[in-house]
Amino acid sequence: MVSVAESEYPLASRRRRRFSRQRLGRATAPYLLLVPAAAVIGLVLAYPLYLLGKLSFEKYGLFELIRHQGRWVGLDNYSKIFHDSQFWTVLGRTLLFTAAAVSLTMVLGTAIALLLLQVGRFIRVALTTALILVWATPVVVAVDIWRWMVDYEFGVLNWTLTELHLGNFIRHDWFVSPWSGFGVITALVVWGAIPFVTITVYAGLAQVPQELLEAAAIDGARPWSVFREVTMPLLKPIFVILISLSIIWDFQVFQQIWIMLDQRPTSDYYTMAIYAFSQSFRLSEYGLGSAIAVVMVLFMFLATTVYLRQMLRAGEVE
Amino acid sequence: MKVRYFAVAILAALFAVAASTASGGTSRSHATKLTVWLMVDAQSGWPEAVATANRLFKAQHPDVDVDVQYQTWGAHLAKFDASLAGSNAPDVIELGNSEMSKYMAAGAFKSLKRSVFPNNKTWLQGLTTSCMYSGKLYGVPYYAGARAVIYRKDQYAGAKIKSTPKSLDQFVAAGKKLMKKYGKGGDYSALYFPGKNWYASMAFVYDYGGQIAVQKNGKWKGVLNSKQAIAALTKLKATVLSLSRANKTGDEANPQQALVFAKGKVASFIGNGWEWPYALDEKLGNPALAPVMGAYPMPSHIAGKFMPTFLGGSDLGIPVTSKNTNLAVDWIKAYTGTPAQTQIAKAGNIANTTKLLAYNASNPKLAPFARAAKFSWFVPTSPNWANVENADVLQNMLVKIFTGRATVKAAANSASSQITRILNSGA
Repeated sequence: MVSVAESEYPLASRRRRRFSRQRLGRATAPYLLLVPAAAVIGLVLAYPLYLLGKLSFEKYGLFELIRHQGRWVGLDNYSKIFHDSQFWTVLGRTLLFTAAAVSLTMVLGTAIALLLLQVGRFIRVALTTALILVWATPVVVAVDIWRWMVDYEFGVLNWTLTELHLGNFIRHDWFVSPWSGFGVITALVVWGAIPFVTITVYAGLAQVPQELLEAAAIDGARPWSVFREVTMPLLKPIFVILISLSIIWDFQVFQQIWIMLDQRPTSDYYTMAIYAFSQSFRLSEYGLGSAIAVVMVLFMFLATTVYLRQMLRAGEVE
Repeated sequence: MKVRYFAVAILAALFAVAASTASGGTSRSHATKLTVWLMVDAQSGWPEAVATANRLFKAQHPDVDVDVQYQTWGAHLAKFDASLAGSNAPDVIELGNSEMSKYMAAGAFKSLKRSVFPNNKTWLQGLTTSCMYSGKLYGVPYYAGARAVIYRKDQYAGAKIKSTPKSLDQFVAAGKKLMKKYGKGGDYSALYFPGKNWYASMAFVYDYGGQIAVQKNGKWKGVLNSKQAIAALTKLKATVLSLSRANKTGDEANPQQALVFAKGKVASFIGNGWEWPYALDEKLGNPALAPVMGAYPMPSHIAGKFMPTFLGGSDLGIPVTSKNTNLAVDWIKAYTGTPAQTQIAKAGNIANTTKLLAYNASNPKLAPFARAAKFSWFVPTSPNWANVENADVLQNMLVKIFTGRATVKAAANSASSQITRILNSGA
């Protein structure tokens, strides 16, 4: 189109060309700037996801792995996992764990953020530093530290509880019962997740206009009502984002359980991620493992949708 | 911001990979590297044998570097699968003899010519069988191991136990004496027996006439819920609960049971030959225990007999992806030849050749294990067996039994049906 205009009206077209080039540039610049990021995402996310999806429709065992060639089986893998009672047990366990870990993380994280507002400068700095240190500890290191703390033979936790006369915890095995075992794992996961929640909520709290809080207090609202009626609604976008992110993180918990239990968790400790991993890498059923992983991705996609919608809405307000 | 750093990191990583593959491509023609995966046991138990093999190999191929990488039992198969999927599998790999059939059946190994390997006419029969699939040889026997009771002579004497037990009941009675004498503190074990120790546990099952699975008309059936197996597992539970204060949800390698033994609060454990010298290791163990250590085969529930021991062992194979088959064969020859095998036997194992059996019998530290090896049991010979191990079916069952999370019967029933399903699943 432009070339036709050019040949017929040389003068006007030059002006227009300059104009349109500018406009074209302005219109395409954002997309051009997005290209590297999109390429990276395509490379490290979309392509593996495509492969994962493809694998989930194939029979892909050790035999196929060696020949780099799967066999198409349609929905076989999915019907297999949906008919496997273990899958439902694991799914239920994972959802329960996620619910427990996310609620604990949110409640404790918010409580500490509120505490930060109340305490003096010194304590605040000390607390923030401690939180940052927790945040900065690599997961693998953190799990190892916790593993030693709850160790059967030499754990400091057993020793402390015994010294405090809370019972005889010498050689107490925290992982005999999956409930107490998951208690330890939940504590570890929540401990690692609190700093991010606290610091984000604290930043949000700092944005709440002081006048609103004062007005509410003058009107006779008690602190809890002020928090519930004024602070909470104002911070709702932040809470929604934090909760969605926490769900995504906790639903796919892997390292904490894997490392804590010597890379051989018994089936009572299987969560979705571990179940998928063991189907793939332990039993060499890569197709089945991928199908489980796809189900996981879909679940997390649900959580992400809420998060994305909130993000977009937050963007509109600004 | 984050995305930008991420992008830069990705780009940097990409360039690094590109650069390394480029240099790999050009250097391949003159200098080659041979990658060997051995299990950690070789690193802690018989590093001299590995050094000997490398020396012999280097004399033959001065321009080839041997890169021996040590793997753990918990993770090595997952890593092997991943390396087969990529194209960076090792040139030589050690697999447990019970893991071989799954990989041979899937075509993961190159077939080998038996006659080129040293001592091939005198290889241990049990190991050789584990290297064969449909009449072809896919592996070379590496070493075998048998388990026996490794014990503290001084503590036995202290508890007035006159001679080593001749029956399971005597063994339990002796253990109770030890617990009475030394077990007040709550952290002492007359028999250190972690909950997931399935090799030692299944010995009870086979001793009572039970089996893990049987094959009938081409179909496998898990039979850990048979009358004999239930009796064995019940006896095992009583024995372990009364004599062991080891972690019921732990296994024998985390921490290494020989090193727990070296700390002094353990009178005995069921271990491999190499674990005896390992307990005396200067850095990790306790050399002072040397004069008070002994071993005897685990006694059977029938007086005067031994409990069958798991015929454990390892084989060496060459993955189909290897581009250095001839070099790999030469390295295996060096490592399975008499010089290296003598060192492996010296470390407490049964060498891959019957030629060296006399060496074991004449050494008081090895003789009990050689005697124990005469009665042995082996896992069901199905290509799917490795999946039973990988799914931790037996470990899960044992943990349930020892912790009381399920009755012996319920745990055995559920394990049996799982075993039936896994062994019969289409390969």
